[in-house]
Amino acid sequence: MVVLSAARWVRSRLTDRFWRVQEVLKYARHFRGRKNRCYRLAVRSVRRAFVRSTKARREKKRFLRALWITRIEAASLEHGLKYPAFISNLLKSQVELNRKVLADLAIYEPKTFKSLAALAQRRRQEGFLAALGDGKEPEGIFSRIVHHH
Amino acid sequence: RYVRQLQRLQLLFSPTAADARGARQFVEEAAQDFARQHPDVVLYVSPHSGPGPAPVLRAEYLNGTVREELIASKTSEEIVQLATKLANQSGLDIIRIRKPFHTDNPSIQGQWHPLTNKPSILTVQGPRMQPQ
Repeated sequence: MVVLSAARWVRSRLTDRFWRVQEVLKYARHFRGRKNRCYRLAVRSVRRAFVRSTKARREKKRFLRALWITRIEAASLEHGLKYPAFISNLLKSQVELNRKVLADLAIYEPKTFKSLAALAQRRRQEGFLAALGDGKEPEGIFSRIVHHH
Repeated sequence: RYVRQLQRLQLLFSPTAADARGARQFVEEAAQDFARQHPDVVLYVSPHSGPGPAPVLRAEYLNGTVREELIASKTSEEIVQLATKLANQSGLDIIRIRKPFHTDNPSIQGQWHPLTNKPSILTVQGPRMQPQ
């Protein structure tokens, strides 16, 4: 006798409910209160946690950039330069280091950062001379631009 | 030179169980070719008689991690694919890596501390004068 579908009075029982519940609860174990134990509350909390973590990825970039800027500002003030002057003069001298690298240098390589601050200061002085002098003095050495082709 | 991180592969199955059919076919057909293609991996085949635990493929790595994969109700080709995947892995745990870089010596010039850019009179203690 060939049977293609089960008889109507045969019902199937759900046997792996435990594991389906654990799949959700494992992400809620470090929560506070009943959300880390009760499934009904944990489902809502876990879903909100995931949504928040996806949205926070865009803000993490902004947050880290602000952190780097704060650190570079503090380090350059130690050497007597303000942050906008430091960054703009560094760009004018064709030193294209991003803020992440500059912050790491300021923490782990203080002498390198001091030399970068001195470079920015020198370029700043040359910029002032070029703008205010307007004379027959030659162009500054650090104001020369290298063209890569 | 490339050193394969997989030390040994143990194939534990029962010769009579129904879900170990793929494992038995793998042992008959593809195990020798696999062993020949991976000469630095030792392949142990240990059938345990009678109804026992589910058929399992156990991989041991050079750093001591042991990884067990169920091969119940899998075809011989799937077991070959599984075995090659385990052979190409290293024994590190499969978790999220927080940073793609790591250094043991992050600072060469000395890490910054609040007294790095201050005049050295604050840090250096001269020779102490004898009380006269």
